[in-house]
Amino acid sequence: MDQNKISETKELGSLLLDVGVSLLSSGASCSRIRITMKRLATTYDHEAHISIAPKSISLTLNDEDDNLLFNGMRSTPAQGVNFKTISGISRLSWDAVENDLSLQQVRDELNRLLSLPHYPRIIILIFVSLAGAAFCFSFGGKPPEMIIAFGATFCGLFIRQEAIKKKFNPYICVFFGSLVASLFAGAFIKAGLNINFEHAFATSVLFLIPGVPLINSFTDLIDGNILNGIVRGINALMFSMAIAFGLLIAMLIYHLN
Amino acid sequence: MDWIIILSKAFWCGWAALGFGILFNVPPRTLFALWVGGAIGGFLKFTMLQMTVGVVFASFIGAAAVGILSIPIAHFRHVPPMIFAIPSVIPLIPGVFAYRTMLGLIKLTGAIGADYNMILSETVNNGAKTLFIIMSLAIGVAIPMHVMRKESAKNIRLKKSTK
Repeated sequence: MDQNKISETKELGSLLLDVGVSLLSSGASCSRIRITMKRLATTYDHEAHISIAPKSISLTLNDEDDNLLFNGMRSTPAQGVNFKTISGISRLSWDAVENDLSLQQVRDELNRLLSLPHYPRIIILIFVSLAGAAFCFSFGGKPPEMIIAFGATFCGLFIRQEAIKKKFNPYICVFFGSLVASLFAGAFIKAGLNINFEHAFATSVLFLIPGVPLINSFTDLIDGNILNGIVRGINALMFSMAIAFGLLIAMLIYHLN
Repeated sequence: MDWIIILSKAFWCGWAALGFGILFNVPPRTLFALWVGGAIGGFLKFTMLQMTVGVVFASFIGAAAVGILSIPIAHFRHVPPMIFAIPSVIPLIPGVFAYRTMLGLIKLTGAIGADYNMILSETVNNGAKTLFIIMSLAIGVAIPMHVMRKESAKNIRLKKSTK
């Protein structure tokens, strides 16, 4: 086999692994990762065999005659849920199939997708706090409780973002967020305001619920990726326990029962 | 039925879905769709609750509607269905039941008094509701894709081809 083809296969393998770990760390389900990688591999005339572990992906590439050409493995970077990456990669894979993009074009597009910015921090803080107030209303809260939920979510999320920046353990980041949010909500109850204790307290920490791991866990279980499903489920459980622990400490501090 | 309360709850569910969409960094072109999805899920859930359907089934109906809607929206906005579906069902998550379960479990660690049985039954009840609502949300979202038996939403034809 000529040198050119070997280097092309290597480039494809490394590209596929980058696509896979970006999807895995942005919160895609296992079947989506597998479909996207296989779709790209087929486009460039290779057959891909993929194994997805909780924090790494391994890949072998065969040619049409089933000769092994490439094998490699990559572990995921630490990164939070990012749906912009997932939708960008999904579009990119279709683009590559339909418009015959070269490997270099796909690589450039992937790098562009990974460098896309998040929403501005103040926008995230305001809209997630609004979501907290909305939760409070849908559980039967009144305007004063909604305002408390807004404030609690704002402070809690701010602290959680700061903790993530300082590279604390992710569960500890959630614990800090939950503690600060419930301390904020509890202060108003302690001040003797006539508000529904349960609505203000229970909804102040809801912005921390691990919605993506929870739903992905079931998606993976249904698709037969049992191991990944269990790992994601336990992960979601650990986050929930961190939330509960923060609430508990706040309740102990305020002597609320 | 109290339509004003249902509609205002649905309205706010939309904002909750939008807020979580921004937290998960969804592409801006899907934000309006997220608001609509959250509102529809919330509307169905609260309408069902008014019709005295159990909370688990009501949440399932809301989530299934979001799951089914996610396929046309995936076509319309060029995003994978889950990007629309996950933020839209988050307003249906049973936060208050989860909170009561947690509180009940903490109370169960105390001394066994006269009301211990009462606390125990309430905690088990709230815990079961939480677990089953979360399961029904995940199933409601995941099922439409599996019913269609296609690997990607792109392969699902919305209308039958006339050819």
